[in-house]
Amino acid sequence: MIEVKDLRKEYCDGDVKTIALDGVSFNIKEGEFVAIMGPSGSGKSTLMHIIGFLDRPTSGIFRFKDQGVEELNDDQLAYIRNEKIGFIFQFFNLLPRTSVYDNVKLPLIYTKISEEEKRERILKAIESVGLSHRIKHYSNQLSGGEQQRVAIARAIVNNPAVIFADEPTGNLDSKSGQQIMEILQNLNDNGHTIILVTHELYTSEMAKRLIRIKDGKIISDELIKDRKIAKNGLIK
Amino acid sequence: MRSALTMLGIIIGVGSVIIMMSLGRGAQNLIIGQISSLGSNNIYIEPGSPAGSFSQQAMDQLSQKSLKYADALAIKKDSTVAQISVMVYGSGRIAYQGEDKKITFIGTDSGAMEISNLSVMDGRNIDDDDVKGMSRVVVLGYKLGKDLFGEDDPVGKNVTIKNLTLRVVGVLEEKGGQIFQTFDDYAYIPVSTVQKLMLGIDYVNAILVKAKDEKSIDQAVENIRLILRERHNIYNPEGDLSKDDFKAMSQVETADMMKQITGVLTAFLSSIAAIALIVGGIGIMNIMLVSVTERTREIGLRKAVGARNKDIMNQFLIESVTLTLFGGIIGFIGGISFSLATSVILSKVLKINWAFSIPFGAVVLAFGVATVIGLVFGIYPAKKASKLNPIEALRHE
Repeated sequence: MIEVKDLRKEYCDGDVKTIALDGVSFNIKEGEFVAIMGPSGSGKSTLMHIIGFLDRPTSGIFRFKDQGVEELNDDQLAYIRNEKIGFIFQFFNLLPRTSVYDNVKLPLIYTKISEEEKRERILKAIESVGLSHRIKHYSNQLSGGEQQRVAIARAIVNNPAVIFADEPTGNLDSKSGQQIMEILQNLNDNGHTIILVTHELYTSEMAKRLIRIKDGKIISDELIKDRKIAKNGLIK
Repeated sequence: MRSALTMLGIIIGVGSVIIMMSLGRGAQNLIIGQISSLGSNNIYIEPGSPAGSFSQQAMDQLSQKSLKYADALAIKKDSTVAQISVMVYGSGRIAYQGEDKKITFIGTDSGAMEISNLSVMDGRNIDDDDVKGMSRVVVLGYKLGKDLFGEDDPVGKNVTIKNLTLRVVGVLEEKGGQIFQTFDDYAYIPVSTVQKLMLGIDYVNAILVKAKDEKSIDQAVENIRLILRERHNIYNPEGDLSKDDFKAMSQVETADMMKQITGVLTAFLSSIAAIALIVGGIGIMNIMLVSVTERTREIGLRKAVGARNKDIMNQFLIESVTLTLFGGIIGFIGGISFSLATSVILSKVLKINWAFSIPFGAVVLAFGVATVIGLVFGIYPAKKASKLNPIEALRHE
C-alpha cells in the first residue's frame, strides 16, 4: 500500500543544508503495524510527515495505493489526509472549550456526507474508545489518557486506511499509555494499518514490525518476534 | 469581550453614518416641505444683484432700497402673474394692557395671505383700502394673539407697536413650526402704514409673486426681470443678471438650491463618519491577525485532518464578515434609534414638522459596507492562515 524508494528530504536554513532523510526505502502492506523508532533528530518525524501527506520529499519515490505523491496537488493531498489518513499526536491537539463530540467531528467538517451519517460515525468512534459517557464534556475537562482517546476517535472517524501515531504515549503516564496501546492493537486487529513513531523500545515492541532509523537512514527493518500485548498488563 | 470591543468600531462607524444620512434626509425634507408649503408657484424677488464678485456684494448694500411697492403693482399687471405681495420687515415691542413683547412685524398687503398659504381665523385680512388709506390696523399671528390675549378675542382691541396704536382686525390660523420663519409670531400691518408711520422708508424688503400656474413660472420670472429693468432704467438687453439691482428666484429654484446644499452637507458629514468605519475595519484586521496567531495549532490540526487552504480561508473570512455584519446590524439599529429619538424630540418637543426617514442608501450601507469591510480587512489574515504550513503550525507554541 505504501511504497517508499530512495526518499530524500533536505532542509535549507539559510546557507546551512540539513539532510533529514538520506535515501530511505521500504514497503508497507495493508494491515501491518509498523513502529518507526529512532533517537530525536533521526528523521523519523520527517518520514512520518511525508508518508502522512503533510510534507513533500525533496527527491525519491513515495507511492500510496499505486499513486505517486508528486502527481497530486495541495487540494488532493488535503483530500487524502481527510479520507485515507488518521493522525494521533503526542500533545493530543484537541480544540479547547469544545465538546468531545465536536472534536471528533472535526475531520467530517471537510467530508461530504449526510449529517445523519456523520452523527452515526462520530458516536461509533467515541464508543470504540470507551468515552460514550463523556460525549458532552469539554476536551480540557478530561484526563490526558482520555484526551488521547478522543484524539484516536477523531483519527478513526473517517475510517482511514492508515493511522499515524506520533509518540502517542509520550505525554502520558504508563497506565494511560498502556490503554492507548491496547486500543491501537485492537484497531490493528480489526484491519487498520498502523504506523507508530516512537523512541521508546517497550512501546515499539507492541507493533508487529520495527524499522530503526538513525541520521536519516534505515539501520534495521525486522519483524518483532516477541510481541507484547498491551491488555495483558503493564510491561514496564 | 474582545470581539465586542472590536465590533464597537464598526458599530460606531455604521451608526454615525446612518445618523448623518437619516438626519440629513430629514433636514432636506423639512426644508423642501417648508418651501413648498409657502406655495410652489411662488417667485421671490429681493433687492441687490445676484451673487457675484465681492465688489458687487458691496454694491448690494447701496441697492437694498431698489424695490418699491409700485414695482409690485406693475408686476401684478403681467398676464403670467396671479397674485403679488410685498414685505417690509421691522422689529419692535408690542404692548397690550401691560403685556409687552418683542416681535417682528411685517408690512404687507392683501395678497400676502394667499401667497404664503395663510388664512384668517377670526376677523378679516388686510385689504387694499387699508394700504391706500394707511389704516392703523394689524393682523396677529396665531401664537402672538394667544400670548397677548390668552383666551380673550383680540379682534377690535387696540395694541401698541413702536408707540403707534393699532386696532387688531384679524387673527391668523395656526401655521405650525417652521425653521426659518415663524408666521405664528408675526404681526401683519398694511405696508404703507409701516413705511410711512413706523419706519419712514419708501422701499420694500421683498416682493412675492405667485405665477398663474406651474408652467408659467419660468415665463413669469423672465417677464418680471424685463418689467423691473425697464422701471429701474437698467439697460441690459443680453439679460446679464449681474447688471440687475434685484434677484428673482422661483421656489423651485430655491428648493433645488437648498436640496443641493443639504445634500453636500450630508455627504460631507457622512464621509467624516465613514472614517470611523475604516478605523473599525483596521481593528477587525488586527483582531483577526491576533486570532490567526493564537489559533495556529488549530489551523495546523484542521489542515492535518483534511482542510484545504480554501476551507481555512473561508473559515476566517466568515468569522470577520460575521463580526462586521453583526456590528453593522447593531450600528444600524443604534443609528436608526438615535435618529428616531431625535425626530420625536424635534416634532413633539420643539413642534417642528420633522418626518423621520430611513434612506435606502443607509440600509445598503449597513449591510453592504459592513460585509465589504469584513471581506477587505479579513482577507489578509485569512490568507495568512490558509498559507500556514501544517507541520510548523502544529509545532507552534
